[in-house]
Amino acid sequence: MRELELYFGPQHLGMVGNFSITLQVEGDRIVKATANPGFLHRGFEKLMEQRTWIQNFPLVCRINVVEPDHMELMYAMAVEKLAGIEVPERAQFIRSIYLELARVGSHLFGLWAYANMLGFDTVANWAMYHRDLILDLFEELTGGRVYHIYLWPGGVRRDFPEGFEERIRSTLHTIGSCVPDYDDTFFHNRLFYERAHGVGKLSREDACRMGAVGQVLRATGMKKDIRKTEPYAAYDQVDWEIPVRTDGDAYSRIWVVRDEMIESVHMIFKLLDKLPKGEAYQRIPNPFKWKIPESEVYVRCESSRGELGLYLVSDGGDKPCRAHFRTPSYSHGLTILEKALENESIADVGNIMISLYITAPEIDR
Amino acid sequence: MFESISTEGDGENRMTVKCRKEAVITMLSFLKKTGFDHLALISCVDRLNDNVLELVYILSSYGGDVAMQKLNILLKTTIPRENPQFYTATEIFGNASPYERELHELYGILFRGHPRLTPLFLEREYDIPPFRKDFDTRKYVKDVFDQIPFVDDKKGRT
Repeated sequence: MRELELYFGPQHLGMVGNFSITLQVEGDRIVKATANPGFLHRGFEKLMEQRTWIQNFPLVCRINVVEPDHMELMYAMAVEKLAGIEVPERAQFIRSIYLELARVGSHLFGLWAYANMLGFDTVANWAMYHRDLILDLFEELTGGRVYHIYLWPGGVRRDFPEGFEERIRSTLHTIGSCVPDYDDTFFHNRLFYERAHGVGKLSREDACRMGAVGQVLRATGMKKDIRKTEPYAAYDQVDWEIPVRTDGDAYSRIWVVRDEMIESVHMIFKLLDKLPKGEAYQRIPNPFKWKIPESEVYVRCESSRGELGLYLVSDGGDKPCRAHFRTPSYSHGLTILEKALENESIADVGNIMISLYITAPEIDR
Repeated sequence: MFESISTEGDGENRMTVKCRKEAVITMLSFLKKTGFDHLALISCVDRLNDNVLELVYILSSYGGDVAMQKLNILLKTTIPRENPQFYTATEIFGNASPYERELHELYGILFRGHPRLTPLFLEREYDIPPFRKDFDTRKYVKDVFDQIPFVDDKKGRT
């Protein structure tokens, strides 16, 4: 049969985000897929070399639109390690609670995109509404809904306001009480199973070979999470489980996302119960005269998409010498996606892409 | 080839290994066999004072015990800034390809043996690769984008 070249995105209805894939198709089967990023390349890492250590905070969070908080964490952690700043215990707990809220918000956004793509508009609207409730919490805490600039070297920008812990609890109860509704309408729905089961399947060997992280890896049965292997913030202070599935297809990946959200909510309750008293931040040197000795560091954390890392180099000046973000979508979007799309149907491109949790801004930076 | 390998740990699960550029590919495949089978990042630092580009491969492991999973290895080597060439690692790590494409267009490093060294992000041609230290971003923006006339000027209205 004749082969055709099909441009999927960035102005395609099935495409989420500014990303494009060139598909070689034969009938409606994909023979070869070529990922084509760069629509959002803004040269953040070059810009970071021209701003002082503190001026970079409003910049790093804009690298990932859906989940800016882990970017802030990475940069704050790297600067802390380079400058040798200790973080008080209360700030560690607040960081964990804040990051888990961000994870739930990000997963709800992912669920919105996925449900919307499959045509489950009701579930998509629920997910968007519940994410908005979490954004309300962020707005109260930081003043911003999407970009918060809340984490800071040496702690967080300000302590929880009065009664905020109760409001976190009540918001999470509101969201948690809808889990049975989500399950009945979406997760146990036969239509979801039929559309997602066996689609975009990855074996564990392939996933490891191509650098998969996060729920793409956990959906192939591997129990790996940076929060467990190399705990940061207060993740070693509470008990929690890593949700795992074994099939490695889109169905497993979305189930891992669901289980992770529930685990995160439980974790926030445990962290709130143990939240210690004390200072929420440590004083840092005068930001206008702040110079960091010549050194370099690689830090990593588990963002809602998987291993997020930052390689930060200082040459002894008041600005970074080099910053390079290792983002989870990079391998997922440029290597795994091309492999996973082979021999699949055109109708499943969006399905596979959103289940791999690819966000274009993270790739382009 | 292997005589000048030096290792250094920082006590916090990061180990820096420095070696000559001829040894890098062998070292990468050795480390992969030892269990460091996850390539987290390939990065590059432009050391303008020493007139070299420093390539950094960051590796960690999928399996292994807790101590091994915590460890990250930073494998470093330097290559000259003029006409930089290196060998590709795509045969060893499946996800090395986009990282090398990125370094090719942002630092101008030619990875020999790479199957698809095409542009990744950029749409324009640059005289100096844009992530090098001697590329002046502000001057470039002024030179290029100040030349584009406003829409109103084009129509003859001011």
